[in-house]
Amino acid sequence: MTAQEQETLFRRWLNEHLGLMLKVVRGCAMAPQDQDDLLQDILLQIWSSIPSFRGEAKETTWIYRVAFNTALAWRRGEQRRRKRHETFLKLDTSPQVQPSHVDSLPEQEIVEQLYTAIRQLPKADASLALMHLDGLSYQEMAEVLGISENYIGVKLNRIRKQLADQLKGVTDEL
Amino acid sequence: MNFEALQKAWQSQDAGAKVTIDADVLLKEVRRKQRQFRATIFWRDVREVGVALLSVPLWIYLGREMHRHWTWYLAIPAFLWIAGFMLADRIRQQRRQPKPGDTLRECIESSLTQVNHQIWLLKNVFWWYLLPIAAALGISICYSTWHARHSGFPVIIVAVISALVVALVYCGVYWLNQFAVRKYLEPRRQKLKTLLSGLNENSH
Repeated sequence: MTAQEQETLFRRWLNEHLGLMLKVVRGCAMAPQDQDDLLQDILLQIWSSIPSFRGEAKETTWIYRVAFNTALAWRRGEQRRRKRHETFLKLDTSPQVQPSHVDSLPEQEIVEQLYTAIRQLPKADASLALMHLDGLSYQEMAEVLGISENYIGVKLNRIRKQLADQLKGVTDEL
Repeated sequence: MNFEALQKAWQSQDAGAKVTIDADVLLKEVRRKQRQFRATIFWRDVREVGVALLSVPLWIYLGREMHRHWTWYLAIPAFLWIAGFMLADRIRQQRRQPKPGDTLRECIESSLTQVNHQIWLLKNVFWWYLLPIAAALGISICYSTWHARHSGFPVIIVAVISALVVALVYCGVYWLNQFAVRKYLEPRRQKLKTLLSGLNENSH
């Protein structure tokens, strides 16, 4: 892969999948500074991973893998190397919810509470919850995590219950 | 609200809406960070292996300047052994690094292997790092003391003090290594084990 091809693919992924990366970032880090650090790390890892991308996995599966693996290794405050950073992004990761059909609570608040609940899950479960909410199939989730589809089902049942416990008052029949 | 409704609310968020990215500056920054990361790894290896290698000419120079006997030079094979051991270990461990597209499970497993290896390395620092040099220095001190034994009691005092200083430095180095294991590596290992067991079907 040439440097030009790497750059083109990176720019396209940035355009098409930045939302996915931001969801992972928000699901794993709370403070804006931490989110900024983690996003930069994920972007760096995605850039470095492009030469190894052979197209065998779906792009979203690949990006999820790289993002989760980076989040797993990332430790709060470790990457504070702000002095020499050039500002390439202006980050306000509070989710912007488009108005739709869910009533009772404003959707933005529901999403905020979901993020809070997800951050309290163990990292592997948080990864699964993020992908499940994003509507990935069992097969795709299994490919990202490296576990069987059957076990994905078992784990998702448990995660739904945990989320329901934490979102009591917001949801009644998870 | 049921899960489908939650999912709908979740998917209706436009997470990227408030992010503005200057792609050119980002690319520049990403490339710079990659270079910086490679340089950090390279200089860490140079520092660790280089110190052991640089000790060889320094030791020879000091030996000649101070007209030391042959036992002084026993430390040279010890330095070379340490440099070789660290280099071989680095090369071996680099092959075991997690790859970017690994599944989360593979990534946790290889991270756990790495942490286990680091713990093994530090717990055994006495055998592969401290002992070779300590043995060489010990032989050298004993040999010098034996040859100067006719000079009387002060020689023995000097030998005992030298041995104590070496022992003290070695205790410090050993303690620091074990502290790093307890403070950083063991918690990390525990965390990774917990994560892995969360993905292990047999454990549930």
